[in-house]
Amino acid sequence: MVSASTKFLNIAKTVFFKLEKYDFTKKFLIYSIITRKYNWKNKNLKNTLIYSIKNYTNFYTPSLNESKGQQLKDLFENVNITIPETGFVFTIDEFKTVNYKHRIADNLSLDYSKVLNTSLNELKENYLDFDDYSQNQIKALEAIEILIDRIIIEIDRSNRKDKEEFIEFFENIKYKPVETFKEALQRILFFNQLLWQTGHNLNGFGRLDYVLNDIYGADSISKEEALLLIKDFLKAGHSYYIYKSNSLIGDTGQIIVLGGLTNDSYFTNDLTYLFLEAVRDLQLPDPKLILRYANDVPDDLFNLAIQTMATGVGSPLISNDEQVIPDLINFGYEEKHAQNYVVSACWEPAPVGKGLELNNIDSLVFIKPLNDLLDNEDLSEFDDFDEFFLKYKEYLLNYTNELLAEINSKDWEMDPLLSLFIDDCNLNKRDFSQGGAHYNNYGLTSVSLSNTVNSLYNVKKLVFEDKLFTLGELNNLRKNNFKDEDIIKLLKSQAKFGMDCPDIINLTNDITEFTNEIFKSRTNKFGAKFKFGLSAPSYIAKSPNIKASFDGRKNSEPFNVHISNEDNRDYTELMRFASKLNYTESRFNGNVVDFMITPDFINKNFSKFKDFLKISLYMGVFQMQLNVIDSETLINAQRNPDEYPNLIVRVWGFSSYFKDLPKDYQDVLIKRALENEGKNH
Amino acid sequence: MKVKITDIQHFSLHDGAGIRTTVFLKGCNLKCPWCANPECISSKIENGFGRYISLNELESEILKDEPYYKTGGGVTFSGGEALLQIKDLEPLLKKLNINICFETALFVDGNLVKIANEYADELIVDIKMLNPENTKHVLGGNINVFLSNLEFLDLNKVTFRIPVTKYSIEDTLEICDLIKKYPPKKIEIFKLHNLAKRKYEILNKEFYTEQVNDLQIDEFKNKLKNVFSNVEIIEI
Repeated sequence: MVSASTKFLNIAKTVFFKLEKYDFTKKFLIYSIITRKYNWKNKNLKNTLIYSIKNYTNFYTPSLNESKGQQLKDLFENVNITIPETGFVFTIDEFKTVNYKHRIADNLSLDYSKVLNTSLNELKENYLDFDDYSQNQIKALEAIEILIDRIIIEIDRSNRKDKEEFIEFFENIKYKPVETFKEALQRILFFNQLLWQTGHNLNGFGRLDYVLNDIYGADSISKEEALLLIKDFLKAGHSYYIYKSNSLIGDTGQIIVLGGLTNDSYFTNDLTYLFLEAVRDLQLPDPKLILRYANDVPDDLFNLAIQTMATGVGSPLISNDEQVIPDLINFGYEEKHAQNYVVSACWEPAPVGKGLELNNIDSLVFIKPLNDLLDNEDLSEFDDFDEFFLKYKEYLLNYTNELLAEINSKDWEMDPLLSLFIDDCNLNKRDFSQGGAHYNNYGLTSVSLSNTVNSLYNVKKLVFEDKLFTLGELNNLRKNNFKDEDIIKLLKSQAKFGMDCPDIINLTNDITEFTNEIFKSRTNKFGAKFKFGLSAPSYIAKSPNIKASFDGRKNSEPFNVHISNEDNRDYTELMRFASKLNYTESRFNGNVVDFMITPDFINKNFSKFKDFLKISLYMGVFQMQLNVIDSETLINAQRNPDEYPNLIVRVWGFSSYFKDLPKDYQDVLIKRALENEGKNH
Repeated sequence: MKVKITDIQHFSLHDGAGIRTTVFLKGCNLKCPWCANPECISSKIENGFGRYISLNELESEILKDEPYYKTGGGVTFSGGEALLQIKDLEPLLKKLNINICFETALFVDGNLVKIANEYADELIVDIKMLNPENTKHVLGGNINVFLSNLEFLDLNKVTFRIPVTKYSIEDTLEICDLIKKYPPKKIEIFKLHNLAKRKYEILNKEFYTEQVNDLQIDEFKNKLKNVFSNVEIIEI
């Protein structure tokens, strides 16, 4: 099931790319993206149409004929500014945005330490030359000044009691580094707001405890005051929640990264704790947290992290530095950059502020080449499994080559704003979108590896070992969408992905190793590398066009989720499995073990559960996230959404209110929860 | 050497210290009407329940979770009556260098209990009821066997586990006396649940229910607490 608005958007996109040269269609697309989000909130197409017609006069996007820097100036001169009555100033004009020819870079976190420790005036000194790059950058800085001055006027006009203080905060952006913790939070929000206003999606916040360490240390503020400010910061970050959402409500990419292994010791400060406490207390699904874990993480910090998870808020996700950092270094990042990693919108790690690290460019669909093989080859030709597997690899190679070539054919939109803060753009005098940055690697996610491994294992076991079917017979059943429930049961009851079984682990590592070899042998358009990971958001979005598969999955049924295996309640087995997968070389682009657990399970078994997590991470699990939920609550919440307005669930790399999710996503969660509780057998 | 089992459950948190692997051995000499593992009662392989497993295979399955046993965990042999196959298990028990626990009702030959006591780091001993008549008719056991076997146990290894039923409530006084005489490490009490209903259906056996309310459980707990401090209500 694809929602009407998604269908509408897909059609709009197709039209757009065909009629790209006409300005009108482009604007139509941009406007349709904006109003589609209103439909999420409103769930009534008629009202959405009325809304979009009514607000059409508010819609504005600059002309593409201008330089990108000038476009930013035009945009910032036109946006409407709304000053909240209290708290931090965070204002987005939802109807005004940039115009673009190419994809705008997304899934990134700014290195906010750069905006805290400098001023616009100081930045201008980088662009004293008269080349196009420098001139464009100067215009971008002027654009920011325009917006600051306009915000100052609006604050002055407002009834805020603290207007003097905030006017000074905004003035300071032009002239000096931040001086207080509160000012630092406001400045981070301002630059974050700029990204949203200029069409960047899925903007992370990065390592806020780390970035704010010095200014917090120099400020005489108490912990209690800091906690209140952090809560206000999170509330401002939560504003424009629907507008910020990308493919589903809640999919905002607003991740705050906490803690982390740096120079062999674990970094943490008061703020690490305070951010966790604030998220635990506020119970908002967004912004969300990732805790960078290391074996010597302080015990009280890890306790707090687990307590926060146990509230069901969906945060934090755990990212295992002991695995991630060596893999980043091994891939080619400098050690100090690897240690300063953040994650893209879900969990894909990359050094902060160093590059065009587009970690979510596309998804590899591992099952697609397998089904293509089954549709195109004479299946009576295969004498044993090895021959069949070799053929799969041939298909996988062709599929991957085509996908990577298509990715390489895409250009990126000029981006003077991000280029201000990304290393080496100034050195190279080249925009970040043109390869000016220090790193320019492309990251892919992947889906259906689990379905593929299970399918291949079924071929090995049921066709070639047990000889229950010929390949052709099994394929005919598949083409008929497995009408017989007993066949599906048989296909689903074999050893499978997520089990600590040598055949399954070898198959999995064999496929990722083969993919890794392909990735290693290719470069992207900047001469940089490709990387991939085993967890992806597209387990529903990519499934509708893929027919039934040998794992017993029916036509268009969603793929399995990340590294998971719900019908096995031996959590230790799933962890053993995950720790035996190979994540080295190009394979580190997000590898999340995703499991469901009932709410009181953690509280009743707190210390054993903590030990379980720590040992699993010690064994080599890359990352993990939990859905702390029970099936009964989910089923009731689907029936009576009004009774569960604040029920939060973890979807892919984000958390969302359950009521906001499309039914097919709700169904997947319910199915997984039932399986996890052993109620589906 | 092989033993008969029905299941091996990793990530078991309720049958002893730490994170454990529980091995459900098949075969029991009692017939507790509320049995949570009715498929383990008969020693025959029936209705798709049960299989033989070699000690080598069992060993490697148990040791798969060895990293998790650093939590103080290990293996728990449950059942069925775990001690009925203990002689067959002995070569493995000698080899295993991890925390070992047996869950037993103690209605077995005293020599088996002595073996268990020798290898066990922990013992979960069920006290189902003490009335000799009821024990005979409801459970099909001789209470004197149970009582004499208590003498063979290191009590500092023992957790008493008591299902709160009309029978145990009736025997509260006797149970308190027994606890005074044989003070264990810990006492766990629990109420009956209906998670095994499906298994009863498959086995074509009648499912036993009885109404014991939370008030009665608290009352029972408090009475035990009068003679022994470490009493916990658990869910299993």
